[in-house]
Amino acid sequence: MKKYLLISICALFIVALKPVTLKAQQATEAGVKISGEVTAPFTVKASDMQQLNRVSVSRKDRDNKDHQYTGVSLLTLLQKAGATTGKELRGENLTKYALVEASDGYQVIFTLAELDKEFTDREIILADQMDGKPLPLADGPFRIVIQDEKKPARCMKQVTSIRIAFAK
Amino acid sequence: MNSNETTGNHHHFLKRNLSVLLLFSLFILVFSSWIPEEDIESGEYILKYPVYFGNRINTPADQPLTKQGVYLGRRLFYETRLSANNKISCGSCHMQEKAFTDGQKFSKGVDGFLSDRNAMSLANLLWVRKFFWDGRSASLEEQASVPMINPHEMGQSLPVSARKLQKTALYPRLFKIVYGDEQVTGDRIVKALAQFERTLISADSRYDQYLGQRSVQFSEEEMKGMVLFNTFPDPEKGIRGANCARCHGGPKNYLDLYHNNGLDSVSADRGIGMLTGQKTDRGRFKVPTLRNIALTAPYMHDGRFETLEEVIDHYSEHIRQSEALSAFLQHESNEKNGTSLKLKADEKKALIAFLHTLTDSVFISNPKFATPFLTVQKHNSK
Repeated sequence: MKKYLLISICALFIVALKPVTLKAQQATEAGVKISGEVTAPFTVKASDMQQLNRVSVSRKDRDNKDHQYTGVSLLTLLQKAGATTGKELRGENLTKYALVEASDGYQVIFTLAELDKEFTDREIILADQMDGKPLPLADGPFRIVIQDEKKPARCMKQVTSIRIAFAK
Repeated sequence: MNSNETTGNHHHFLKRNLSVLLLFSLFILVFSSWIPEEDIESGEYILKYPVYFGNRINTPADQPLTKQGVYLGRRLFYETRLSANNKISCGSCHMQEKAFTDGQKFSKGVDGFLSDRNAMSLANLLWVRKFFWDGRSASLEEQASVPMINPHEMGQSLPVSARKLQKTALYPRLFKIVYGDEQVTGDRIVKALAQFERTLISADSRYDQYLGQRSVQFSEEEMKGMVLFNTFPDPEKGIRGANCARCHGGPKNYLDLYHNNGLDSVSADRGIGMLTGQKTDRGRFKVPTLRNIALTAPYMHDGRFETLEEVIDHYSEHIRQSEALSAFLQHESNEKNGTSLKLKADEKKALIAFLHTLTDSVFISNPKFATPFLTVQKHNSK
């Protein structure tokens, strides 16, 4: 009797805990949500980043030392999401911007033209590595890194979302 | 004859006056719980705020502010019938004289239980894009229903609230003035509340007078506090600062940011981490407005600090390192390799002097934000 009781309590426990652990597992994989004026919104996860075309940008951080940041060009991510890029980036589409948000609520914008290879060679990437290693916990897992930008204010840390929108 | 006539006239006069008086009293009696329609202003509500606050405001396109909507919202804000025991209104935990806080660590709900987090100040919500300590709501409309239906706060569902108000003499009329018909619904309740809350603008502090027209002179100590507030400390260059403005900067002293500010090495309240499941979000909470901060003790999401002195001491000496601590707080110090600000006693005093310039006495005494219920006690006793 006691044995059955123990088994049923254990079973209850497992049943009760399962959805919680599942939810926690799902929730802990960080990603960057790409949405808004795009045809195929998606969330890019850490593992997806390895499958995409990787690029590196070198820039000085606050420690005044050069660091090599590696990740995926924002343009690549926007193309994958179906934003208007390249030949489509004309007319009213030039009033579009990407609003990037971090986990602390900090937001900055880039115009789509700033991110497009037909307008500029300057790389703006979503980095997931610094000097060949994952970003420090408080900076990552995703950070915007902008080639040659003087102020670091837009090289934002802990990026969580990119939303494309029209300026109204 | 003349005198008789006079006496007769006199009686007649008295009698007539008495009946007028009686009629008048009856009128008063009948209409005392009513507000004459002409007393409720209607039309577009024009928000007034300083240019330097900017126009990045959060107002839904389908919710234009109207004077009548704001009026209804104000009545609802102070309406205790929106709670399960008819004793708690929004105004119970958001008292105007305390810049719409309640002076408690946690607030007691209808069931006698305490709330999970400290009641937040309601000021300049027009510019807020995420509400609550964990930023879970994207609008005031979405926010308003949460404390109303939470069993440990007001504890009453919106349909029940709507039914209760529908049965009153007053509200169906007010809803008609605002929405075109007498139907009271939960959706209409939260919309009106949101309208009123958007009008709670605090822009009359001494700091505003300084920002606007430099019409006040700050004391030497207040000026020193303001400089420290706005300066990033750089011990290598001998620059002293408290860098409060990084998160509390700008003319509104609010930036819609969310941080783990090193209160605990492992936060008991997971904060935003509860919503995202990210370990770097554990103990991450909204950085609240510093407007009227001297009036809104106790401080932090759990009200753990009773005074501004304790708050400054925290940033100066007691930042707890953890994997969730926000990056900028990990090495922010006036000492080389320091891990907290390490301010001097006179610097702390100066900061507090500056924080007092953010107190807006006009805001906390503005009759437009006060309870409109002359009959509030009567409602309570029903």
